[in-house]
Amino acid sequence: MTKNAAGKSSPVSAKGQDKAKTAVKKREAGHIPNFEEIEASASFRELMKKKKAFLISTTILFLGLYLLFNLIISYTDWLNASFIGDISWVWVFAFGLFAMTWILVTVYMKRAAKFDEMAHNTLKEFNYDEEENR
Amino acid sequence: MNATVIIIFLVIVAMTLVITYFAAKRTNSASDFYTAGGGLTGWQNGLAIAGDYLSAASFLGIAGSIALFGFDGFLFSIGYLVAYLVVLFVVAEPLRNLGKYTLADMINARFNAKKVRGAAALSSITIVIFYMIAQLVGAGALIQLLFGIDYIWAVLLVGVMMTVYVLFGGMTATSWVQIIKAVLLMIGTVILSFLVLQRFDFSILEMFAQVKTATPHGEAFLNPGVKYKIPLDTISLMLALVLGTAGLPHILMRFFTVRDAKTARSSVMWATWIVGIFYVMTIFLGFGAAAFVGSETIINTNPAGNMAAPLLAQALGGDILMSFISAVAFATILAVVAGLVLTGASAFAHDIYGQIIKKGQATERQQMLAARYASVGVSVFSILLAIFAQSLNVAFLVSLAFCIAASANLPVIVYTIFWKKFNTTGAVSAIITGLVSALVLVSIGPSVMNPEAGAAIITGTPLFPLTNPAIVSIPLGFLGGIVGTLLSKEANEKKFSEVNVRANTGGFRQL
Repeated sequence: MTKNAAGKSSPVSAKGQDKAKTAVKKREAGHIPNFEEIEASASFRELMKKKKAFLISTTILFLGLYLLFNLIISYTDWLNASFIGDISWVWVFAFGLFAMTWILVTVYMKRAAKFDEMAHNTLKEFNYDEEENR
Repeated sequence: MNATVIIIFLVIVAMTLVITYFAAKRTNSASDFYTAGGGLTGWQNGLAIAGDYLSAASFLGIAGSIALFGFDGFLFSIGYLVAYLVVLFVVAEPLRNLGKYTLADMINARFNAKKVRGAAALSSITIVIFYMIAQLVGAGALIQLLFGIDYIWAVLLVGVMMTVYVLFGGMTATSWVQIIKAVLLMIGTVILSFLVLQRFDFSILEMFAQVKTATPHGEAFLNPGVKYKIPLDTISLMLALVLGTAGLPHILMRFFTVRDAKTARSSVMWATWIVGIFYVMTIFLGFGAAAFVGSETIINTNPAGNMAAPLLAQALGGDILMSFISAVAFATILAVVAGLVLTGASAFAHDIYGQIIKKGQATERQQMLAARYASVGVSVFSILLAIFAQSLNVAFLVSLAFCIAASANLPVIVYTIFWKKFNTTGAVSAIITGLVSALVLVSIGPSVMNPEAGAAIITGTPLFPLTNPAIVSIPLGFLGGIVGTLLSKEANEKKFSEVNVRANTGGFRQL
């Protein structure tokens, strides 16, 4: 049934319905949404694709740099060379990891605002209002 | 103990009790008790997360460590901070979207099985108890030093205060105690940092140049390797820190105090800035203490270096600043242990009593009573353990807590959100494998077994070489989840669709 249902309510027709009735339909108590249908929708898949691309690449980046730093300082003294005066590259790399954290958090905040919008559109497409379901 | 200390100390106690009084009036339901009604804003929760996270070990311990060991003393802070990216990217939002009061709630949004809930509650309780013993034993020793009262009285004082906050004011009181503590802590460190930098003519280069000659380590002080000499051990520990934060139940619980994923996200942003800036300032505190107090005086006052920050305050600002910093340290301890009591209570009263024994049918009144009994129970049990553990070296329990969190909690969180084929058996086996392997490897490792009599709990050659087993136990936790899942035929894919949609859209919270 799921495949049929997903096929019937393609994003295009769902958007059409949305325009037709602006008010969210009142649902009966105990109504269970068809999650497989929502999951299979183009808009939700697009959200997940974008989200995963961002999260996977940044996670590899920050965990990679973090591990690299720990490997270098544990096994070599490459970073002990002077950067300016008595400040060695160790402190530069360490502060770089701090800066990386703040930058990635800031970038994610911006991205997440877009993800929120996409998620909101998916819910609207299926006639669910976030507030109502909270 | 001089008059200034007593006055500042009493002001802090009075302030927290006033908060508790008003919080108590607003704590009328289980939701109020566990999540402050879910009404905190992003900055409030961000400050509270920082207040929950920056323990006395962070404040006094890291400043002291940097004063004594230079860069190596700072090393942990990098892990503690980068860890917030894992919190932000992996757990914060799904947790808020799927859960109600506890980590087990979130996992059970997918499985709804008593054994999964039981296993998650067990690992949460284990982490809370270990973390709590480390905090209380440390608090006892510190308050003994700061205010000159006996260890047992110090533990009882902290114990009674934390019980009062949680018992009467629940999460509202706990959150506000944490927020005030975070603000006080930041004010204290900013003042100290300013005074230190002033002495160095606001030149970082000058600071490094002077510190280079100020300690017995000489130039090595400014580079890694003074304290941590075994590479694999260091890497294992750093792995526990970066992956563990996202599985610490008392940090996870803070995300239920906000209304939605967006606010959860902005609270991590606030926490990351506050925690990061704080850690940068601990460098000034540590270097300042190394230069203006001297490692000999620091070690003579407390061998672990915990008194470096108060001594620095004394040296730069006299009795008044010293009293203020001591009082801030006291507030720091209170805020962390209160959060731990509440988290332990939620696992007992909500997960075990409310959901497993009462099958979710407990009335509001029963839930509140259970939460309060559990808070008192967790408090009394931890106070007794802390008094019993006075003479033991329990500092390793903090990194053990991070290790268990990374090995037992993180794998199950990741699989629950991302892995379609994950099932009940996999969830239980991920938690239990991670928990048991971390516990067993620590108890046969150098933290518990030491050939030198009296240096650790057991005298003997350690059977496992690493102090922190994270590098072995985290992969085991992940592996446990895979093996458990494959061994069972149970499929959970339909429920995964629901969890996937709910976790990523924030809709359908009430289902």
